[in-house]
Amino acid sequence: MKRTTRRQFLKASAGASAGMASWLALGRAPAYAQKRELSFLSWNHFVPAADDELRKQAEAFGKQANCTVRVDTMAHLQMPAKLAAEAQSQSGHDMYRAAGADAFLYENLHANVDDVVDKLGKQWGGWYPFSAEMAQTKSGWKAVPWFWISFPATYNMAHFKKAGFENPPKTWAELLTMGKTLKKQGNPVGIAISHCADAHSTYWSVAWSHGAKVLEADGKTPGINSDKTAQVIEFYKELYRDAMEPEVLSWDDASNNRFMLSGKGSWIHNPVSPYNAALKEKMPIADDINHHNSPAGPAGAHSAPPILSIAVWKFSKNQELAKEFIQYLFKKENYDAWIVASNAFNHPPLRHLADHPIWARNPKFAMLPKEAEFAHPRGWPAKPSDAVQRLDDNYVMADMVAKAVNGMPTKRAMEWAQDQVARAIKGQLKVG
Amino acid sequence: MAVTPHTIAVAGLHAPGRRERFRQWWEQEHVFGYGLILPALVLLGCLVAYPFGMAVYFSLSDYWVGSPGPFVGLGNFREILANDVFRQTVQNSFVFTALALTLKTVLGVWLAVLLARDVRGKRLLRGAVLLPWVIPTALSTLGWWWMFDSLYSVVNWTAIRLGVMSAPGPNWLGQSAWAMAAVVIVNTWRGLPFFAITVLAGLISIPREFYEAAEVDGATNRQRFWHVTLPLLKPVLAVVILFSTIFTFSDFNIVYVLTRGGPVNTTHLFATLAYQIGLQGGNLGQGAAISLFLFPMLAMVVFLQLRYIRKE
Repeated sequence: MKRTTRRQFLKASAGASAGMASWLALGRAPAYAQKRELSFLSWNHFVPAADDELRKQAEAFGKQANCTVRVDTMAHLQMPAKLAAEAQSQSGHDMYRAAGADAFLYENLHANVDDVVDKLGKQWGGWYPFSAEMAQTKSGWKAVPWFWISFPATYNMAHFKKAGFENPPKTWAELLTMGKTLKKQGNPVGIAISHCADAHSTYWSVAWSHGAKVLEADGKTPGINSDKTAQVIEFYKELYRDAMEPEVLSWDDASNNRFMLSGKGSWIHNPVSPYNAALKEKMPIADDINHHNSPAGPAGAHSAPPILSIAVWKFSKNQELAKEFIQYLFKKENYDAWIVASNAFNHPPLRHLADHPIWARNPKFAMLPKEAEFAHPRGWPAKPSDAVQRLDDNYVMADMVAKAVNGMPTKRAMEWAQDQVARAIKGQLKVG
Repeated sequence: MAVTPHTIAVAGLHAPGRRERFRQWWEQEHVFGYGLILPALVLLGCLVAYPFGMAVYFSLSDYWVGSPGPFVGLGNFREILANDVFRQTVQNSFVFTALALTLKTVLGVWLAVLLARDVRGKRLLRGAVLLPWVIPTALSTLGWWWMFDSLYSVVNWTAIRLGVMSAPGPNWLGQSAWAMAAVVIVNTWRGLPFFAITVLAGLISIPREFYEAAEVDGATNRQRFWHVTLPLLKPVLAVVILFSTIFTFSDFNIVYVLTRGGPVNTTHLFATLAYQIGLQGGNLGQGAAISLFLFPMLAMVVFLQLRYIRKE
């Protein structure tokens, strides 16, 4: 190693102090430190390749806009707590992947994104109706709908065929009939009745299909204690007893995927992730797995797919940059690449972007975009609100069903839920 | 005679410099003493008193994440007491703590007595026993979670193969009683080493003479345990039980990883419910009230136990 002589050292340190002095005199960071950093908090996507693609696009945008874009990802169940902490301390990331009623929960803390939403809507043939319901608050759009995840039914064609069923169930009632036979065959069906996100995605879907609701349309009156909900609970009870196994009471969001991929399960209500996982791992079961649209009930078919959006914190110093980045993600070539990376898991909330061949090409995916037509945000017919979010966070409906299938009379389970809904609403009214 | 600057000057000495005067001030007993504990006080103030004060403040106001609310007195406490989920949680916490603590005490003393024996590889054995306590809880609990998985439970598989259980075995995390059993088992597994090693330290410090005297008097093994070991272990046991009560009541990791409070809130503890309502649900006021609910009870336990220990 070359030794530094005293003269060199003096020279170098003199240079450094001169530089430091001018930096201090100017009261400004040197040029290299001025490069802006945009930070984006997202989730660990169920299809990891989608996160890789997102990071790739973030880097490309950084080069173009002369900034660095940091994409942090974390488990989706951890996000509410993290966001709460960022909201509380008014610091953290510039933008984040919002879900549920985040746009309403943090309405006052989100930057207004009306301009971006307007521009993208005009560019791509308009937003699906659920978009506005998800992100448009009284004070304007508080998030840009990013993508939604179709929540169809996944079934094992071989098990159905063995049980003598050529076609999958079209209605929840048919599912019950078929499920009874399938369970006897050793291939039960599965809907989570536990503390996990899927449990509620399915509950909303079943409830709406039976004409039941949780809140009245005004969003201020509990509406879960009704004859319609009683029908829903009775359906669950029968399905639990005759077509499922008690394991559904302990499921997390990945359990039904394992249930399907293990070869035991015959039917689940879930996004297409088990099929994608089977393809990726080259599991033979991929050939047997197929999808069909979420079943209908007496009040038609309804779906409560996860709808994700991007929100920009009001405390961010990079709001304009964040908005530019959002528009960059919605460029046709970028959005298309991202759909492909997720293997059709990410659905665009914009009509024209949904015309992607990936769905039409694969018969197992062909029916997926149709779900957008009957999708609603949770809480519907009420607007999504922090009360709805709280019901989800506290797993109220899953617990109501779990109580009932564990033997609590339906009426009492509904009264319990009604009380919990009232509590959630009361919290909402308190928020200023 | 008082030493004033004047006398110093008269004596032809230099007046003490600023540094010297500081040294004299600093070396006074009351200044020096408090000076030494000051860093610890600051640390306690910042890391214990401040968060505690904030928690009390939150619990008495209608505070939501990002939207501070007005003072509501005991409103939050009334609200949570009226909530069925909270009442369930109180019950869970007591059942959980009582079961886990009993198991840990009995098994811990037993394990300590075994470890106190002179066997080959004694040190290795004692080190190995500590393992569950050393591994990060979240990590080891994930292992347990997989062992209790509804589809791939190793526990059920083994028990069925051994003929102890009939297939398919219990649904550990999906049925209330089994889920409670699961969290108690994991908590016991995790807390046992702490008990065993601390009790072991107590055992070793019991003078041999007592045992020799007992032996001369013809005491059996069992009598020696009941009449020599246990009475002399009492002070150590009291401290360990005190610590463990607090740790067990305020457990979070195990329940959060294994059941997230389910099924139907039958394994929720104060900490997990406070997290769910305060952070996930955004109701900081009620979350704080839930976590503080325990404070008077635990303070009482600490007070009684400490008084007991002092008496001993």
